[in-house]
Amino acid sequence: MGIIDLDRLEVRLGGRTVLNGLTGELRGNAIGLLGPNGAGKSTLINTLLGFHLPSSGGARVFGLDSRHDRARIRQGIGYMPENDSFIGNQSGVRFVRYMAELAGLPPAEALERAHEALFYVGLGEVRYRKVSTYSLGMKQLIKLAQALAHGPKLLILDEPTNGLDPVARQRMIQTIKEIRKAGSIRLLISSHLLRDIDETCDEVLILRDGRIAALCNIEEERRSHRNFIELETAGATEQFAVNVRALGCECASFPGGRIKLVMPDRLEARDLFVIAGEQGVQIRRMSQRRDSLEDIFLRAMDNERQVANVGL
Amino acid sequence: MSVYRHDYRAYSGRVTPMWARVGVLVRYGLAEAWSSKITIGLGLAAMIPFIIFLIQIYLANNPATRLLVSRNNLRFLDVDAEYFLRALEAQCWFALPLMSWVAPRLITYDLADNALPILLSHPVSRFGYVLGKFLALFASLASVTVLPCLVLFVYQCDCAPPGWTMANLPIAFGIVAGTTVWITLLSMVGLAFSSWVKWRTLATGVIFAAVLVPAGVGGIFSAVLRTRWGMLLNLPVMMTQLWQRLLGVPEVVRTGRDWSLPSAAILAMLIAACLVCAAMLHARIRAREVVRG
Repeated sequence: MGIIDLDRLEVRLGGRTVLNGLTGELRGNAIGLLGPNGAGKSTLINTLLGFHLPSSGGARVFGLDSRHDRARIRQGIGYMPENDSFIGNQSGVRFVRYMAELAGLPPAEALERAHEALFYVGLGEVRYRKVSTYSLGMKQLIKLAQALAHGPKLLILDEPTNGLDPVARQRMIQTIKEIRKAGSIRLLISSHLLRDIDETCDEVLILRDGRIAALCNIEEERRSHRNFIELETAGATEQFAVNVRALGCECASFPGGRIKLVMPDRLEARDLFVIAGEQGVQIRRMSQRRDSLEDIFLRAMDNERQVANVGL
Repeated sequence: MSVYRHDYRAYSGRVTPMWARVGVLVRYGLAEAWSSKITIGLGLAAMIPFIIFLIQIYLANNPATRLLVSRNNLRFLDVDAEYFLRALEAQCWFALPLMSWVAPRLITYDLADNALPILLSHPVSRFGYVLGKFLALFASLASVTVLPCLVLFVYQCDCAPPGWTMANLPIAFGIVAGTTVWITLLSMVGLAFSSWVKWRTLATGVIFAAVLVPAGVGGIFSAVLRTRWGMLLNLPVMMTQLWQRLLGVPEVVRTGRDWSLPSAAILAMLIAACLVCAAMLHARIRAREVVRG
């Protein structure tokens, strides 16, 4: 069982299908939710929280049905919304305590953990100031503090770096990494910034037009392309290719001495130079390609487009 | 308090039951409502008629005063159903400004700062949220209506000769029923209109208007069409008639025309008003707005 299980999830809002038959199992410690604007990221989050009811299919969080077990799901979730959301005339510590009590903590524990959460996110010194006087970065942090205070099992962060300057963004990313490292909380991070997801997540769900464009483990995806190498050679290229194949590489030769190959894990790039030396082949250029999240994202978008074209 | 801990740690302690979350909303709602000096001022002002009525009971049961008054044959010291109706009316009308000040404090802050997505992402339903705010407002209004009136009744029971309590017990039921209907309606109206007007000061004005403007329209309707049914829009008239019947006070025709409304019609109108308010709250209290298109 994954953290989040989607089973033909369809959500219709205002007569429009926003999520269209999502099926998948999200298992990662930190799951990135990517997609262009209007792809359905926030709707998916709202459905998991029980704000929207599925029109068909369903979603399960920690095995609990989002339609029938809303209160129990929310008990185990900390949610940081995308937009400003706070009670401005309360002090920081009072606001976080209030939210912790709503999540079920007794008043004394809620107060203690409110202080801790505020110190943890870096708002310890301003915790007695009214939230309305906070800067934009502070408001983002207090949303994170309230989401953490009650010790959730799953932390949902909707665009956590929205509107932050580079320093504040780096601090937010660092905090998210620390939370992930602590290991007691799973993360679901929605963002349209690939870099944020790249730095913090190990699994990514890419949405496009309310459908799943890709669901993959980022590390595994990278690993599968880790040993893809492009070479430009001069000399006995064909013989070189034969020898390389003999070592267990998948290899393809192209005119002009260009060779593309995928090396097995046991080989290093150094081995290619050894063979080239023995054959008297010059390796004039070598590029070892490593997939970025951007590649994965663009490939997913491209695949979707192709599927759509075939459909038409 | 372990503020020295700056590392994240999971919570593994006791968790309060689900129903207690409404209590959290009530507690924080009451704290928010009574943190304002104006609220305290209005609450204190509502105690002025209560003290006057309290003194009246003391005087009514004081042998020397009674002797003095009976010589002048004045009825104003009689403590009967009419006395409690006057007390009830005074206290209940003091509840109106208090409600129009407190209700926006409970709701508009949450709406103005878009706090609903965060509030409702916790294990609290929309109904639980509204119920918590309703109970906070209801309790605030009860403190200036039903409680003072019952204190007056209990004080009179204590001062009056034996037998008075049992003979006048329906008055106590009338007080409880009359104030409950009134503050329930006020709470619903207050929350509903506060949820639609984000600006707090404006919300206070709109709530007053929501009570008084239909009364004026109903009055014009009744005068022009020479019918009593226009009074169904007149909340003060309806409530006065309802209180009179609950306390057993005979209705007096003051203006030469009988505006008396059937109790069933009054109750139906009050229930309809509450349902409209509930629909307004249902439409407004949401974690997310749905964009049609």
